[in-house]
Amino acid sequence: MSETMMIFGGWVAAGLTIFLFSFLYKDNPFFKIAEHLYLGAGMGWVFQTMLFQTWIPKVWEPLRAGDYYVLIPSLLGLTLVTQFFPKISWVSRYGFTFIMGYGSGLVIPLTISTDLMKQIGGTISPFMVSEITRGNATSLLNAAIVAIGFICVLFYFFFSVEHKGVIKKASNVGIYFLMLYFGAAFGNTVMGRFSLLYGRFDDLYKYSGERFHYATFVILGAMVLYFIVDHFRTRKPAVEEEAA
Amino acid sequence: MLKTRLNFAIIAVLFAAQAALAATPAPKADAAQKQELSGFAAKDMPYDKGEAVLLTWPSGPADVPGASYQVLASSGGAWQTAAELQFPADTKLAADFELPFWAWDRRAQAHAVQVELPGLFPDFKLGDEYKFKVKYVNGKVTAESPEAQAAPRPNLFNLARLNNLVLLVLITVVFFWTVSHAKRKGGLFIRRIAGLDAIDEAIGRATEMGRPIFYSTGIGGMSGVPTIASTAILSEVAKKVASYDTQLKVPHYDPIVMTVCKEVVKQAYTEMERQDSYRDDTNFFVSQDQFSYAAAVDGMIHREKPAACFFIGYFMAESLLLAEVGATTGAIQIAGTDQESQLPFFFTSCDYTLIGEELYAAGAYLSKEPMIQSTLKVQDFGKAFVMVSVAGGSLLLMAGTWFKWEPLVTAIRQIFKAY
Repeated sequence: MSETMMIFGGWVAAGLTIFLFSFLYKDNPFFKIAEHLYLGAGMGWVFQTMLFQTWIPKVWEPLRAGDYYVLIPSLLGLTLVTQFFPKISWVSRYGFTFIMGYGSGLVIPLTISTDLMKQIGGTISPFMVSEITRGNATSLLNAAIVAIGFICVLFYFFFSVEHKGVIKKASNVGIYFLMLYFGAAFGNTVMGRFSLLYGRFDDLYKYSGERFHYATFVILGAMVLYFIVDHFRTRKPAVEEEAA
Repeated sequence: MLKTRLNFAIIAVLFAAQAALAATPAPKADAAQKQELSGFAAKDMPYDKGEAVLLTWPSGPADVPGASYQVLASSGGAWQTAAELQFPADTKLAADFELPFWAWDRRAQAHAVQVELPGLFPDFKLGDEYKFKVKYVNGKVTAESPEAQAAPRPNLFNLARLNNLVLLVLITVVFFWTVSHAKRKGGLFIRRIAGLDAIDEAIGRATEMGRPIFYSTGIGGMSGVPTIASTAILSEVAKKVASYDTQLKVPHYDPIVMTVCKEVVKQAYTEMERQDSYRDDTNFFVSQDQFSYAAAVDGMIHREKPAACFFIGYFMAESLLLAEVGATTGAIQIAGTDQESQLPFFFTSCDYTLIGEELYAAGAYLSKEPMIQSTLKVQDFGKAFVMVSVAGGSLLLMAGTWFKWEPLVTAIRQIFKAY
């Protein structure tokens, strides 16, 4: 990549990052530019992915190789396009019916296997201890806490039974377990998000150097200037209205 | 002291006896001659998609430490093998095989090896016949089995998943029973779910303020359970929106979900006899790129300042991006997802959050139809089953291992295993 292209890329990256961050202040034309560019680029990306990773290898190439069976799913997929033509839009129901049936068929056994069998197996397997030693006593206690928490959380999700008495107490304990988990998950994700933020700041710092002709500072300065001018420009009519 | 010596003597005698027994049938070390392994068989691997072959041959006293087996396969040309097909002679026994007791006889005194053919033959074709043989090596002593042929084929039924089928049948029976029960009684009790009770409040607020309602089904496909649950809630929301004549906006990530939601909203308006108010652009496609979708919906929420936002369905990292912007506009927000990693973000930025299973219950809760309400009873039955299984399974497993009841431990572990 040539140096000019590298500098141009740096300006684009720094500019789009600052444009998107500007939303934190208020909605503005810079954010709108970045938003629409992102939307267009995202759609372009999805289109080329569909074209090169689905349509060409899974439809075009098998057809050229004489595998005409791919026409069946292709036609089912094409029926969805009939939605655009109200007179024949009913044809799309065949495609949708297939998608719904296929989806349900895939999900039901998977749910039984993972949500029920695997969950039960995973919860009870730590109880396989032939003797209680100092080493496994804590893991056994841990397993007991997990199992009790698991049962209590399930009590919270009982809908057809009124939550009172023992069920209410168990479900309250379940809520504590849920909140403990959510707190931990929240902290974990926030840390991940902060690392992404540091990444963007690191890039902005890089583009603020002499090599990129101080791209970050120039763009930031220009935007601050715009916001100051815009503030005074949009303030005037409000004053006039008050006076009127 | 005497007891320790006696124990030592017994162990020494047992070791000597084992060595003597092992030495008897094994080919003589000084003979350095090839012998034939008898009883070798190859057949299609049962309960698989048709890419593996099962090889079996009797185990015996020759399977001593230090000896090894090597499995060889051929598609007609040179013999192939792989690292996992060379193993110590006292391993890969029928008792170690990864199939449950109802689909596999663990008591058989045999070796059992599953050979995955695509890994050995890059040009593997379904239905082709392959040749196999096994080699025994113990120092200078070698033995080879005669060749055996087998052609792998896909199996329609996976007996290893019989536990899943039994549970599915049980759930189906319970479902029909609860449906008939609900029909007879004319409704079932459902506990209060605050997030769903707040839907009326949110729509009422939007009507009073004359602002739109945003409803996002998330980034899931139509085969996802949360998306299906979300369409059920959208139907109820659309009915109320139609009766109050409020504006509804449903931005979409998935075109198929969009088409289904279009039908759902249209049907809701028809049921409320407000077809004249229905607009085809209520549901609209935004982008199929996660963050482009989030950026675009954020922009719309910020500019249009809706009175209520619903984020119900499958959400990932965009959950906070959407909900936070909604919160800054002052909209009443109701969220719901079964993605536990995203729920904390909805808790912090939304007024009401439907947690996992509450989302699935929403359709039944809102519709008040006995038929749909009975599905909640089935869900509760599933939960009760899990609770009893965890409590009972833990106790039985602990008792089994404590008192060395190996069959009980194996049975429980295999019943609650996903194959």
